[in-house]
Amino acid sequence: MAFPGQPAPAGGFYQGGYGGAPGGPAFPGQAQDPLYGYFAAVGGQDGQIDADELQRCLTQSGIAGAYKPFNLETCRLMISMLDRDMSGTLGFNEFKELWFVVNGWKQHFVTFDSDGSGTVDRQELEKALINMGFRLSPQAVTAITKRYSTHGKITFDDYIACCVKLRALTECFRRRDTTQQGFVNFQYDDFIQCVMSI
Amino acid sequence: GQPPPGGLYGQTPPGGPYGSPYGGPQPGPYGGPAPGGNAPPGVDPEAFSWFQTVDADHSGFISVKELKQALVNNNWSSFNDETCLLMINMFDKTRSGRIDVYGFSALLRFIQQWKSLFQQYDRDQSGSISFNELQQAFSQMGYNLSPQFSQLLLARYAQRSPSPSIQLDRFIHICMQLQSLTDAFREKDTALAGNVRLSYEDFLTMVVTRML
Repeated sequence: MAFPGQPAPAGGFYQGGYGGAPGGPAFPGQAQDPLYGYFAAVGGQDGQIDADELQRCLTQSGIAGAYKPFNLETCRLMISMLDRDMSGTLGFNEFKELWFVVNGWKQHFVTFDSDGSGTVDRQELEKALINMGFRLSPQAVTAITKRYSTHGKITFDDYIACCVKLRALTECFRRRDTTQQGFVNFQYDDFIQCVMSI
Repeated sequence: GQPPPGGLYGQTPPGGPYGSPYGGPQPGPYGGPAPGGNAPPGVDPEAFSWFQTVDADHSGFISVKELKQALVNNNWSSFNDETCLLMINMFDKTRSGRIDVYGFSALLRFIQQWKSLFQQYDRDQSGSISFNELQQAFSQMGYNLSPQFSQLLLARYAQRSPSPSIQLDRFIHICMQLQSLTDAFREKDTALAGNVRLSYEDFLTMVVTRML
């Protein structure tokens, strides 16, 4: 069965092609990579950035465009999405992967934010989620829109937080669906651990 | 072997909305009516007084933002957004995203119960809960979860430090989520086998409706 997020031109969910193991060896031309500039400007000696630094980095890279920059909690969520060594920080390759994924989501958001207000409404959010390939039950959509909307509107930042969580949950499920049938047999503690680590 | 104390899933932590397993209305360390009294019937005068202070715009309701001003951890940091949201959702009977004075009064009692538990588990009285204390807390609540799980929670919820520990807000958040997810799992595990078979959509629905 297919999981949501077939590789989209602007970066969907399961693209393998972001290159290199996270935090792996530097690739040729890294120093010339414009993203590396933003990363190096905030990263410390250890070549890793934490949530605070990520927030600054993303703001400076202008990825949010005209939208308000990400809040710290969203940055923390983004790190946990890619933080494979559970260090609470990202290396450059992980950061690069994040940047592409977030950029993809942003392009997606922009198509739904038709009035350029920086927010989408509940119906637009639902459409966006369906468009990304999530087949969510009505209760799930209600829970999501309730959680992420303020006065019926969802900001770009909250939209990203929502995407991160859904992606992380999907990854969590997918890794356990060894037969790719769309079913997983969860042990209680594995379920709890997997879900609460997001 | 024998099932762990409390069974596979542990026992229920303190009371749900508007209910308390610890018995009726709070006895009064609060004394007589607060200045500017006239608390609505059934509402503790001190809670009422506090409500009036927190309800900065005098709307008769408290929003997430206003609640954040009212609740602090032992290190004086405000309760984080997620926990405040969880609290509002739990005590908001009107589904408006805000709570009235009755909801607020019940919320305060609820937090007080959690605070007592927190103090109990904070054995060294440091004001926050360390890895060992968290392990102990789960065990005493009847959960049979791995050390890895506690480690994970600390990595996720504690401030980065040589000895990470958890503040009251996140402790409440963790325990409430744990209970909620356990309930959700238990509902599906009718055979009490300790495992369930979930489709991707069921999984997402289950988690999203309980976690967000």
